[in-house]
Parts: sequence; structure tokens; C-alpha cells
Amino acid sequence: MTVNVRFFAYFRDLFGGRGRELALAAGATVGDALAALCDTPARRGEIFAGDGLKPHLVVMVNGVHVDARSGLATPLSPGDTLAVFPMLGGG
Amino acid sequence: MSDFPISGYHGRVLVADLTRGEVRTVPLDPATALDYIGGRGLATRILYDTIDPACDPLGPDNAFVIATSPLIGSNAPTAGRGHMVFKSPLTGVLGTSNSGGTWGAAFKSAGFDVLVVKGASATPVMLDVSPGRAELLPADRLWGKTTHETNDELAAVSEPGNPARVLCIGPAGENLVRYAAVANDRNRVYGRCGPGAVWGSKKLKAVRVRGREKITIADEGKYRSGLDQAVYLMKQAPVTKRLMRDLGTAGLVELINLISMLPRENFRDCTHRDEDVEKISGETLAKTLLEKAGSCYLCPIGCQRHTRVAGRDGREERGEGPEYETTVLMGPLCGIYDLAAITRANYRANELGLDTMSYGGTVACAMELARRGLIRREETGGLDLAFGNAEALEALVTMTARREGLGAELAEGAFRLAASRGRPGSAMTVKKLEIPAYDPRASFTQALGYMTSPSGACHLRGGYAVSLAFFGGAKEIPRFSLLQSPIAIRNMQNTGILQDSLGVCRFTGYAFAADPWARMISGVTGRDLSVARLDEIENRIAALERQFNVEAGVTAEDDALPDRFADVPIVVEGKERTVSRGDQERMRRDYYRIRGWDAAGRPTPEILRSLRIGETGR
Repeated sequence: MTVNVRFFAYFRDLFGGRGRELALAAGATVGDALAALCDTPARRGEIFAGDGLKPHLVVMVNGVHVDARSGLATPLSPGDTLAVFPMLGGG
Repeated sequence: MSDFPISGYHGRVLVADLTRGEVRTVPLDPATALDYIGGRGLATRILYDTIDPACDPLGPDNAFVIATSPLIGSNAPTAGRGHMVFKSPLTGVLGTSNSGGTWGAAFKSAGFDVLVVKGASATPVMLDVSPGRAELLPADRLWGKTTHETNDELAAVSEPGNPARVLCIGPAGENLVRYAAVANDRNRVYGRCGPGAVWGSKKLKAVRVRGREKITIADEGKYRSGLDQAVYLMKQAPVTKRLMRDLGTAGLVELINLISMLPRENFRDCTHRDEDVEKISGETLAKTLLEKAGSCYLCPIGCQRHTRVAGRDGREERGEGPEYETTVLMGPLCGIYDLAAITRANYRANELGLDTMSYGGTVACAMELARRGLIRREETGGLDLAFGNAEALEALVTMTARREGLGAELAEGAFRLAASRGRPGSAMTVKKLEIPAYDPRASFTQALGYMTSPSGACHLRGGYAVSLAFFGGAKEIPRFSLLQSPIAIRNMQNTGILQDSLGVCRFTGYAFAADPWARMISGVTGRDLSVARLDEIENRIAALERQFNVEAGVTAEDDALPDRFADVPIVVEGKERTVSRGDQERMRRDYYRIRGWDAAGRPTPEILRSLRIGETGR
């Protein structure tokens, strides 16, 4: 299956653009998608801390925070949009 | 050196009576200082003791109060902000507005904690303040000048090591535009609720301050332990470490769109084409218009956007902005995705002294009225008020500030404009204050924040729920929890009250909460201001603000969203969402209960007594 990945803020420099399509095996999870994206030590170091996500990082599937679902184990479906960005504020 | 019994304060309140043409210094009451700290809390207490909340906001019986805090004068990060309170000519309730820049710190250095201005002058005046001297001076020659012209002329007396800092209004304030701002450092503003109109009604053009007075710190070790923790945490959190400097607050534009919260066309819905949103994003701003980031006094975060843009005549213009709120409310809320036009309109609003947020909300309202045929082309001086017309957005800034043509009606704000055209439902306001750039249908917590903010729909006084509903707290605080929203928003509001009362920036909240502040303020004052004590103070300030509003005539019916948010759904996370009247009622009821207010939204005598406000509030 294919999902759409979108990057924001400094992750655009880290991952080389605003986003990309990512091919994954059927039944893949958010954790599988992020592992596939983190193909260099620098990328992995910005996303993962041990087996979990780094603090101050937000990952969403179709606009829903993965913490509100099953975290890295959240299943993905074809056509989903995965958004990855540092915790950002403003106002 | 002050002989005030609490460190961190000078113990002096500067009071200017413009009717009498007198300026005098009165002592600060130590018990009041400890009960309300400074900034928003102390200013509100003094305002409440100075005016009748039922007074005419544009009459001489209104006053404004600006308070600093004991932390200002230390080297605590971001501690330099002033907080101004007054009765708002836009809303008729408590006006409460905050600004960074350097003025607050300079005023404290002039040897005062609080400024109170009451009465009204018959002719334009300014107040000139330096240690041991404060006087009213004629300001006829400044009347009519922009905020930039006024600032630059008055700041010209600066000397090395002793800069003069200026707070002033522009033509919008002089012309009593109900959402006129007060500016400092040219582009920092007390923006919301119309403080500039209050100044204009008093014929007060500017307050210039200079000084080098220091404060003392009672317990250097305790202060330092909180400071070190704060500095460490600000270096860890991406927002305070680099994101604000990289992208400014407009870095939120694409993300708020991602969670279906970015309003379009006067809150018609939250749908946009991604390529349109990209045109106005913080990333695009950084790549195209940004010259450099800038900082307020003692701020390591650096969110200011110093920008340049090609003018409509082709000449390059320089200024500051736009921020997230300005970008969205002058942009998509008006159907506009033209970053250069938004930036130019922002520059004009700053120069003329207008709140960019209420202006954007009012233009969006006017565009909706035009679409419904309730404002005709012949009334606009030929301007096409269609959504998306950036030319109209730019032209109307000056017309509004000068009250020319249709601008005279826009100067009254969205609520009065919509009512005068027979369609009050087109005003997207709470308590007559235009709603910020987060659609309340996309977060119950944000909805309740707008409903219960003491100043009307304000994300900073009402509680900035995006950070709960979206960033980092999603598991604990779901966006659509009726049960959790009341306590969540109460906690967010209290955090804001603390930050506003300490004279520090909201954005420190992305790095740490109350604990480092508790140690810093306890260290400076030498008093036990633990997190628990601070929470009690926050509750006291919230109750006092509500008591002011009750006496100004606010009832539970005023704590409600416009009908559109209950009746017209938007799609969020694949579902249609509104904030129904029943949902509003339930959240409001629970919120009142948590605050200790009765079913009509009035602080009970018991809560006023327990918080030492007094049984009647007086």
C-alpha cells in the first residue's frame, strides 16, 4: 500500500522536502512507516529515542495525534496521510 | 533604593489625572502587591478600586492601569512585559491586553511599579517619566502622527545607556476606533480590546519613560535555582530553542490547517487548498520576506519577524510581521492568500494603531454582508468587497483608522457593523470581541476558552487550547471531551494569569510550567510564593476579573458562541462538528462550578470571601 507523508518545520530540511509517497507492506503501522523513513542515523536520531518517539515530536494520521490512538502501533491504511513535525507553538 | 517592605518592587504607583492636569506618586499597598503580584493581577485590582465597571468606557470616568512585576528588573527570561487593563470601548467589559518590547522594563527602571491614568484632557497631552520626575506636556504637535513618527520623535532624546522608550497611539486611537491599539517600540502593541481608543478619549498621545533604577533580590540562591532550571528547559524545547526564531508564530499556519481548525471566509468553514495555505505559511514567510528575527526585552526565543515587502507602488517597505493571527484573520478569514498584501496591511495597521485581529474579523464580516447584498458597491467608494480581494483589505485599513466612508462603520467592529446592517449573525464575536484564528468547532476546549475569557473571544486570556488539544496533550485532553474541557481550560487560564501577572511571555510555557517561576518570584520577593500559593492568587485574579464583568453587566448569556458554531458544521477528523447549545451549556455549568461561581456565572459571596476579595467584591 501507499501512504502520503508530510513534513513540517525543520523536518523538511531533514527529510529533503515537504513530503513524499511511501510504499509499505499491507498491515504496516506508524512505527513501520517512520522506521522506513529514518534511513540515516541523523534522521533516526531526530525521530526515535530508544523504542519510542522523541519528546517534543508530533505524529498524526489524517489529522489525529497518534497518542490518541495506539502510538507507534497505530495501523495505517492505503491513502492515509502521515504528518511529522516538532511540537510547535504560536498564537 | 526603595524602602518598600517586599523586594522586587519600588513601592510606587504613578497616578496621572488628566482632568486636573496633575501627576503624583502614591505608595503601593504591600498586602495588595502580595495578593495580586503584579502585571494583570495587580493592574486589575487597582482598576477595580479606581473605576465603576458600569462607566462609559470613552468617558473621563474610565481609567487605564499598566502594571509591571517584581520579576522585571531581574534577568528572568522574557520578564519585561507590561499589562494594561481598562474598560473596553469595543466590548463594554474588562479590557485586558499585554505587550512585550522594552517599555515595561523601562517604566520599571524609571522607579515605578504601576501607572494609573484617569480623567480626560481637553487638549492633546503626553506624559514624560524619569526617576524623580513625571510631568504632563502638550502634545498638539504630535496629534495626527503615526505610531512610528511619534515613537521616533519622542525617542530621539535617548542617550547611550539610557534609552527613552515610548508608548503611543496613532490616528486610529485619536479617532476612537473601537479596536485601536497602543504601540511601543514601533511595532509591539497592546492590541486587543481597544486601549488606543481609551487613550484617544483622554487626549493622551504618548507616555515616554527613561531610567536606571534597580531592584533588589531577597534570596539570590532561590532565584538562581529557578532561573537555571528555566534556562535549561528553554534550551531543550524546540519551540523556545529554535522554532520560533526559524518560523515565527506563522509556523502554525500549515499545522492548524492540518487539524481542520484554520478558518475561512468569516468562519464559513475550514477548508482550503494546500497550495493556497502554503502561500501564507511561516516557511514561505521565512523564505521570501523575512530579513531577520528579533526579540523583546531579555527574550532568548526571538519570534519577531522583521520583514520587507514590495509596496503597491513598487518601492520596498520594511516593518514587522505578520504573526499567525494577523496572517489568518487578514488572510483566509477574508478569503485572501496573498502574503505580500497581508504584510502591507499589517504594516499600515501598526503605523495607524489598529488591532490587526479585530480589523481582520471586521473586514471578513463586511465581506459576508456584501455577499448578502447588505453592503452595496456605491457605499464602498468603488471597492469590491468580495472575499479574496486583497486590494480592499489594504485600502480599508486607512479608511478605518481615519473613519472615512465605510471605514467609519468598520471602526465600530464586527458586532456593531453586523447589527447596524440588520444581520447580527454575521458577527463572529464573543462579548463583541472578534474571534481569533482557531475555529472553535475544531476543539471544545478552545470553544469554552472563547466563551469564558474575561475579555471576550481571546485565545490568550481565554486559554490557548491548541497546545492541549493538539500538541503533546492529545492523549490526556481529547479535543472533543465535554467532561475534561472545563478543568483543562481553567488550568490553561490560570497559567496565563500567572504569566501575565509575572510580566513574562506565553511562549515560555512551551518549555516549562509554574515551578521555575515559583522559585524565581519567591527568590526575588523573599516571600513564600509556592506553586500552591500562586494557584490561589490565580484563582483570586480570575474571580476579580469576573466580578468586574458582573458589575459591568455580564451574564451567563454572554458566555456563548455565535449561532453559526452551533448550527453550521465543519468536518474534523472525518466527522461533522458543531458546538451545540446544549454542549455549551454543559461546559459552562461545569466551568462555573469549578470556579466557584453560581449558575448565573457570578462569583459567590463565599468564594469572594475565601479569596479575600471581599464579600461584595468591594
